[in-house]
Amino acid sequence: MGREINWPRWRLALIGGVIVLTVLLVAIFAPQVAPYGPLDLDVAQMLSPPTAAHPLGTDELGRDVLSRAIFATRVSMQVAFTAALLGLVVGTVIGVLAAYFGGWLDLVLMRFMEVLFSFPAILLAVVLMAALGTSVFNAMLAIGIIFIPGFSRLARAATQAVMRQQYVEAAQAIGMGHTRIIAREVLPNIIAPLLVEAAAAFSYAILLESMLSFLGLGAQPPDPSWGNMISTGRGFMAQAPWISVVPGCAIFLTVLGFNLVGDGLRDAFDPHLRD
Amino acid sequence: MVRRHARPGQQPVLAIDDLRVRFRRRRGVVTAVDGVTLEVHPGEIVGVIGESGSGKSMTAFSVMRLLPKTADLSGSIRLDGQELTALPEAAMRDVRGNRIALIPQDALQSLNPTLRVGFQVGEPIALHRRGTGTGLRGRVLDLMRAVGMARPEQTVRAWPHQLSGGMQQRAMIATGLALEPRLIIADEPTTALDVTVQAGILDLLRAIRDRSGAGMMFITHDLGVVAELCDYVYVMNGGRVVEHGPVEQVLTAPAEDYTRMLLAATPSLDAPLAEVGT
Repeated sequence: MGREINWPRWRLALIGGVIVLTVLLVAIFAPQVAPYGPLDLDVAQMLSPPTAAHPLGTDELGRDVLSRAIFATRVSMQVAFTAALLGLVVGTVIGVLAAYFGGWLDLVLMRFMEVLFSFPAILLAVVLMAALGTSVFNAMLAIGIIFIPGFSRLARAATQAVMRQQYVEAAQAIGMGHTRIIAREVLPNIIAPLLVEAAAAFSYAILLESMLSFLGLGAQPPDPSWGNMISTGRGFMAQAPWISVVPGCAIFLTVLGFNLVGDGLRDAFDPHLRD
Repeated sequence: MVRRHARPGQQPVLAIDDLRVRFRRRRGVVTAVDGVTLEVHPGEIVGVIGESGSGKSMTAFSVMRLLPKTADLSGSIRLDGQELTALPEAAMRDVRGNRIALIPQDALQSLNPTLRVGFQVGEPIALHRRGTGTGLRGRVLDLMRAVGMARPEQTVRAWPHQLSGGMQQRAMIATGLALEPRLIIADEPTTALDVTVQAGILDLLRAIRDRSGAGMMFITHDLGVVAELCDYVYVMNGGRVVEHGPVEQVLTAPAEDYTRMLLAATPSLDAPLAEVGT
């Protein structure tokens, strides 16, 4: 209340926030923002460099690169949001239960998480996609599963710290049951680090989705996604570099934006950094 | 040696008989409470004193049955004649906060930082389904007035860290009183407070005893507080009760060496200064 906000310290987070907001708005209003449809062909203008009609050029079939990049934002945001949410919710449930009840449940759940953790993330995603089949929905699922062990470990450690607090003992002393203690005492006190982790997971999910699409495991052509645009553009790097460069820049800017917001969140929740 | 201080014709609020608490460790067994027998009568403040590790807090937590999972409990604990050790966990949950209240040592640590003070004071009432909505709000305000909370209308909306130490402890006491418990267990409730605030809290506890007729078990290592507040006192050492009796008797004419040692270790304002200097 009435506290001055120290703008220079939050400048980067602010820049990140503007990028994130822009990306989200572009994703929501893609049909209104994009000059063309993502599948519209302009056969007379194949592999055209940036012109007034096509500000960021066209691809090998004469499709507008800007419009495709704009529509691809939707896939990226959907996949990243669903995957981060899946990881956050399932990981938190597993971590909280393991820490709260302890004993053999903790043992079983955490060993299972370690099995998931022991695979390299990218390899695990590819294996899951191969098993589940290629689709955008399965990409969400595969990426979400990759996030579960990280969230569960974080939630478990945070819950263990909260369980040592006297307010949990006080809650038991007034006769609170397990469900209420978890909902009232544990969750509100562990949510901050988990949200910071979710922001980081979000930007990592964007990268993973692009990678899966690049390998042909995510969004299927002709539907645009940043990964498959880079993949098709690869063959035309000498004549038409913009086909790959534009989605590449989109990935770079989006990930940067979400990382800056994540860092800002971490600082905002960190009591040691409070003025 | 240890006999009860039974009062003929009156049922004690709390009767602990031959309580033993053991911890199973990887190597052998650690005994934390070793055959404690103790009684608390209605309207009586019973002090339990002893140094750290003497088993006084373990005895209190046994009554609430909030011991760690590795603890092994035997003996009998009766609340108003009802055996608590045999109660299933669900029934025990109904006893906690409802018939027995715990006033903890460190009030700030015992308040959830993410919930408003008024909400936490009203929680036992909501929990044991004795009121909701506007009725609950009124009762929370009454409770806060009863414990001498400054500006109750504003304080219900405050966060725990915005209150002073004394007000935080008053909030915990209000939480404990919410359902008019038969037994109040105070676990060193004034240790974290400075002396003037401490005096106010002791006055409040005494007033609560007079008003409600509840029995109070007062755990402390501060003999000054015992002398001022308690009617009866148990001295514990190494998990056993070494001596018990009315406060005047134990503090003025201790029968046991250990009690004498405790008394001698208490700094006194009456002692000549030269003694302190040497």
